[in-house]
Amino acid sequence: MAALALAAAAAGAREPYESTYEPLEAPDFLIASTSVYTGAGDMLEGVDVRVEAGRIAAIGADLPRDGVEVVDGAGRWLTPGIIDVHSHLGAYPSPAVDSTSDGNEATSPNTAEVWVEHSVWPQDPQFTLALAGGVTTLHILPGSANLFGGRGVTLKNVPSRTVQGMKFPGAPQSLKMACGENPKMYYGGKEMAPSTRMGNVAGYRAAWARAVAYREQRDAWLAGDADAPPERDLTLDTLVGVLDGEILVQNHCYRADEMATMMDVAQEFGYKITAFHHAVESYKIADLLAEAGICSAMWSDWWGFKLEAFDAIPQNAALVDAAGACAIIHSDSAELIQRMNQEAAKAMAAGWRMGMEISEARAMRWITLNAARALGIDGETGSIEVGKVADLVLWSRNPFSVYALADVVWIDGYAYYDRKTSKMPVRDFDLEQTVRGMSR
Amino acid sequence: MAALTMGIWITAAYADIAIVGGRVYTMESPEPLRNATVLISDGRIEAVGTDIEAPFDYRQIDATGKIVTPGLIESYSQLGLVEIWAEGTTVDSQVEEYAVGPSLDISFAINPASTLLAVSRMDGVTRAVVAPMPGSDPLAGLGATIRLGGDKLLVESRAALFGDVTSSAANFTGGSRAVLLQRLNDAMHEAARFSPNRYRAEGDEYSRQDMAALKGFLRSGKPVVLRVDRAIDILRCIELAEEHGLRLIVLGGAEAWKVRETLAATNTVVVLSASGNLPAGFDALGARLDNAALLQQANVDVLYAGSETHNSRNLRQLAGNAVAHGVLWFDALKSLTQIAALTWKMSDAGVLRPGAVGDVVVWTGDPLEVTTWAAHVIIQGRIVRMHSRQTGLFHRYRSPD
Repeated sequence: MAALALAAAAAGAREPYESTYEPLEAPDFLIASTSVYTGAGDMLEGVDVRVEAGRIAAIGADLPRDGVEVVDGAGRWLTPGIIDVHSHLGAYPSPAVDSTSDGNEATSPNTAEVWVEHSVWPQDPQFTLALAGGVTTLHILPGSANLFGGRGVTLKNVPSRTVQGMKFPGAPQSLKMACGENPKMYYGGKEMAPSTRMGNVAGYRAAWARAVAYREQRDAWLAGDADAPPERDLTLDTLVGVLDGEILVQNHCYRADEMATMMDVAQEFGYKITAFHHAVESYKIADLLAEAGICSAMWSDWWGFKLEAFDAIPQNAALVDAAGACAIIHSDSAELIQRMNQEAAKAMAAGWRMGMEISEARAMRWITLNAARALGIDGETGSIEVGKVADLVLWSRNPFSVYALADVVWIDGYAYYDRKTSKMPVRDFDLEQTVRGMSR
Repeated sequence: MAALTMGIWITAAYADIAIVGGRVYTMESPEPLRNATVLISDGRIEAVGTDIEAPFDYRQIDATGKIVTPGLIESYSQLGLVEIWAEGTTVDSQVEEYAVGPSLDISFAINPASTLLAVSRMDGVTRAVVAPMPGSDPLAGLGATIRLGGDKLLVESRAALFGDVTSSAANFTGGSRAVLLQRLNDAMHEAARFSPNRYRAEGDEYSRQDMAALKGFLRSGKPVVLRVDRAIDILRCIELAEEHGLRLIVLGGAEAWKVRETLAATNTVVVLSASGNLPAGFDALGARLDNAALLQQANVDVLYAGSETHNSRNLRQLAGNAVAHGVLWFDALKSLTQIAALTWKMSDAGVLRPGAVGDVVVWTGDPLEVTTWAAHVIIQGRIVRMHSRQTGLFHRYRSPD
């Protein structure tokens, strides 16, 4: 286990599976007199934002412009790079054919041993489309057929020949867990456990009990109280990573009552749930979620595709936010991920329609800082603050408009996307085949 | 009248209505009427103009600062055919493992109590095309047009024939589009000379009922709506339609922009769904966000369909995105109203003029924006109650105490 990694580090080599991402060299620049949603809940007007060495160096009116390229921000809006906490890009790429369907290891209810990064195809053309929508960071999750679907990975939305070259340096992995219909219908249909919601919960508890025992054996060995470490178990390694607080739990869970049950499971085994995903009923228990400090990752308006999504309402995010809980808009879709700003706008306006007061600056947090928090990267990105990396989107107009387009998208201060010059990464699959890859 | 037996709610809703002070898009001109009045009486538009006095006994709706348009028309949906996709008992949109093709008349399955109708009409969708989906035959059957409120759901049954000639539909005919297109062609020739007494279906040929339905359809002048994405397949569908004198409507049309001149020359309408820029399969490698704009610049009429039936309300967002990628704003609104009405032979809808149906929406702002909503919806002259299962849940949980 940890010993192997230590040996590699001692030899001076890179650890296996570690990120190899390096920010591209980019000139310092200043975005002049623009409007800003900081992502942390504030709106600034007529300010300059200065970027040096890929990080935000200064924010304010009339900043010195010496020696830097100036980008005209007048009439435009600057936001942090959009962060999607629930994506399957690369694991369910386009073209969506059987041979590329790599998101669900639906062969056992517990596949905590699989890592979705080993399915991610960096040449998925959808990454470029998401970038054009302002998405700079995405969290790729395995599918939801299993109680434990495997490990998720946080990626920088950059072109790369390898997935390692996209991995967000230092970002924790996640464990995808799934409640409700998907596991019980899928395995129940195969006449095996779980076939009921109570079967789901028994499955989680049995696995966590094994993980606790495995951790005790490991700790005994580390303390010198045992002759040998436990035989290595990749499944339990992931669960112990959660118990140790190194891996964040991202829990697919639609129904409020099931979320409450999952909170009890977490309490029983001493782990933390970072976020409930597809949390269409969070509005029913927003107070409990606020108290527990658990984020809700939600769609703005998807509903009714299955019974556990029948009580989804468009005011879900607004109600969660109003209760003081952490609200996030996620996509789970290669189409929605291109318009996260519009999804946040609809979720906000749905609240307005029912008389709720929500500022646009506050709603911007749903696709930026709150998302960064749920991925454990809020110290690095997710808001426009001095010292954070320059993951930025300059919008043609207020991003809460359907007509707003991302004009420029920077990642660590490098402009990977520029609408005016049609600059964008072209994936191999696109070459001489799709509109993006056609010779000009 | 009926109101006597149906209670106060209906009586009130039948009142004559004056919408006063709004910016009115009649759809007959890109220029709106400012500070205009729309009178609705007996379910129909009575008058529209800037010099109209609202009669004292009309129920007044203040539209000051708001935008007034005809109700929106969803050009492809399964509204009324599905409640919850994953619950088979609530899904009537397709037929699998049962030999039925063009004779399937989906109007017999439409459920007026569906919760989707209230959710959709609250957001200004007043009429919809309801289509069967292919389950075991490339020809899914005959679709209908509906209104989402008013006294009777069905506007027209057997309004169009729906089919699919994409790669996935080719699986119904052994896996090759070659068989699929020939089968369609042969079946239509056969149907043209079909006589019930002499016809005997052999092998997997269409049943007598299917042939009779197909013959009736071929003579009806109604459109055939084929889901097709790849450019060459669109051209082949156009040829098929020309050979049989059919009015073709292309559904999906990911690569329609590549054949826009031919589409324009043959007056073929294209129904675009979803955002449509994913190279999601090898049929759609040419998908692009400005498909609608390229088509309209070439004088091809474009319609929009929500990507998923539960969210037909996102129709206007789809049109707004088309505008963001080059479509003119008024053209996008026309696609949701007037052009849709003309295409689906609902000529009394999609416009605000005397005699037209009283389907009217008062919007809090630009109807194509994502931060506006329908302040008032009127269907067939009746004011829609802004209630749905979703608003009920909202009110219950807004204050959990």
